Amino acid sequence: MTTTNAPSALISTESSARESPLIEVQHVTMRFPVPKRYREWVLAPLRPRRVFTALTNANLEVQTGDRIAVMGPNGAGKTTLLKLIAGVLLPTEGKVLLNGHNTLEQNTAPRSSVGFVFNEERSFFWRLTGTQNLEFFGALDNLYGRQLHERIEYLLELVGLPDAGDKVVSTYSTGMKQRLALARVLMVEPDVLILDEPTRALDPVACDEIIELISTTIHRNSRKTLLIVTHRPEEASLLCNKVIVVEGGTIRGSESIKELSAKGIAVVDYYRQLMVSGRPS
Amino acid sequence: MRSLMRKVLAFIKRDFNIESGYQAAFVMGLVESLMLLVILSFVGRLVSPTASGTLSRSGMHYFPFALIGVAFARYFDIMLRMFSDSIRTAQVTGCLEAMLFTRTGCITIVMLSSLYSLISGGLQLLLILLGGVLLFGVNLQHMNVLATLLVLLVSVSIFVGFGVLSAAAIVWLKKGDPITWVLGGLSGILGGAYFPVDVMPGWMQKISVLIPVKYSLDALRLTMLQGASLATVAKPVGTLAIIAVVILPASAAIFAATIRKGRKEGTLMAY
Repeated sequence: MTTTNAPSALISTESSARESPLIEVQHVTMRFPVPKRYREWVLAPLRPRRVFTALTNANLEVQTGDRIAVMGPNGAGKTTLLKLIAGVLLPTEGKVLLNGHNTLEQNTAPRSSVGFVFNEERSFFWRLTGTQNLEFFGALDNLYGRQLHERIEYLLELVGLPDAGDKVVSTYSTGMKQRLALARVLMVEPDVLILDEPTRALDPVACDEIIELISTTIHRNSRKTLLIVTHRPEEASLLCNKVIVVEGGTIRGSESIKELSAKGIAVVDYYRQLMVSGRPS
Repeated sequence: MRSLMRKVLAFIKRDFNIESGYQAAFVMGLVESLMLLVILSFVGRLVSPTASGTLSRSGMHYFPFALIGVAFARYFDIMLRMFSDSIRTAQVTGCLEAMLFTRTGCITIVMLSSLYSLISGGLQLLLILLGGVLLFGVNLQHMNVLATLLVLLVSVSIFVGFGVLSAAAIVWLKKGDPITWVLGGLSGILGGAYFPVDVMPGWMQKISVLIPVKYSLDALRLTMLQGASLATVAKPVGTLAIIAVVILPASAAIFAATIRKGRKEGTLMAY
C-alpha cells in the first residue's frame, strides 16, 4: 500500500514491488454541492452552489491481499474514500483505478469486483425473509437455480444464520442484519471486500462474533483484499495488516501494523499521534 | 436473454412477496374503481349522445366512452408514476445503492423494478373492463383485438418513456416530479378520459393536441367499441409511434446521465 497527500505521508512498500496495484486512487478530490436555501435563491440567484470538500488530493495504492484499517474521526472522509474506491461515487478530480478499470469510464466492471457492506444496514427488503433477500440480490448478480440455493445455504451457515433464513428481515437484530449483509457481499466472491463500520451499534458479544466471522472469511482466502472502516484499534490489529488515518478530508498517514508493533507502537497511539500533530513521532 | 428473463422473474417474485402482505390495498383500489363505474353509469343517464360531436358522430353512449377513457387513463397514470415510485421507495429503504452494487445495470434495475406495477395495473384494468361488460352491459363484441393490442403497445411505450423521465426527475430533484405533475395533471383535463375534448373551448382543444393520452384513448375507443381497423387508427397510432421513437431512447439516456450526476455529486441516495 502506498499513500500520499498529507505532510505526514508515509510509504509502506511491503508488497508494492511485487505486482501492479489492485486499487489506485490518484489525486482524488471529492466535492459535494450544498443545495441552495430559499434565502440564497432570493438574495443571490446567480451565485453558484456552495460545495463541501470531503476529500482533498488523496493518493492511495492497495495491493491484492492487503487488509487495511481506515481510521479517523467522524466526518473525516473515510466513507467517501471507500465509496469512491467502490465506484458508488465518482471523483470530482483525479481518478480511481480498480483492477485497471477507471471508475469514471467503466463503472459496472469495477463495481462487480467489490463487495460493500454499508454502515447502515437498511438496504434489505424488510418484508422478505433473509433467504428471499439473498435470492433476489443473487439473481441481480447472475446467480440462479441450484447454484444460487446452494450458495445461500452455505453462506447462511457461514455467517451463523442457518435457522434464520426463513424469518422476515424486520425481525432480525442489528447483528443479524450485519451478518446477512456480509452473506450478501460474499455471494459473488468479490476480490475486494469493503466494510464500513461493520460493528457499529453492536453489543460486545455480537461485535466479537462479527470480527471472528470477518477474520474467518478473509483468512479462508488470502488473496481477498479488505478495507475496513473502524473506530476500534483492537479491531484494526485483529483483522488488518495496515492502517491508514484520514482526517479533515486528507490521508494523514499510513503504516504497516507489523512495523508499528516492531517499534513498540500500538495502533491507538499511532492514531493519536497523527490526530494531535498531523504526523507520527 | 435467459439471464434477463431470470431477473424479470426475480423482480416479479420479490414484489409479489412484498405486495402479498398488502392485500387490502389491491382490493380497495379495485372497489374504488368499481364505485367510479357506478358513478359514471349514473352520469351516463344524464348525458345525451347528442351532447358532443364525437358521441353523436360515432353513435357512442357516454358510459362506454367513459369506461374506456377512465380505465386506460388510470393504467397510463400508473405507468407514469411506477418508475419514480420504485426509485423513491428504493432510496428511502436504502436498497437502491445495494442494487446498484450488483452486476445489473441501472436502467435494467429501474425498468424491472416497475414490472410488477405494470402487471398488477394491467390486472386492475382487465377487472374494470370486465366489470363494465358484466355489470353495466358494455358491448365489446366488435373489438378488433389485434388493433387494440397494437395501440396499447405503442401507448405503453410512450408512458414507459415518460415514466423513466419522471424517475430521472426524482433522482435529480428528490421531491416534486414535474413530469408527472404536468403530464398527469394535463392528461386528466385535456386527455379526454371523462368527456370528449370537443366539449371544451377551442383554445383548450388546441392544447389537447399535445397530450399523448388523447391519441391513445381516441384509438382505443375506436378499436374496442367500434372494431375499427388498423388503417382507421393509423393516424393516432402513427403519432404515438413517433413520440415513442423519440421518448424511449431520450428518457433512457437522461436517466443514465442523472444517475451519473448523482454518483458525481453524492446525491444518489439523498431523498
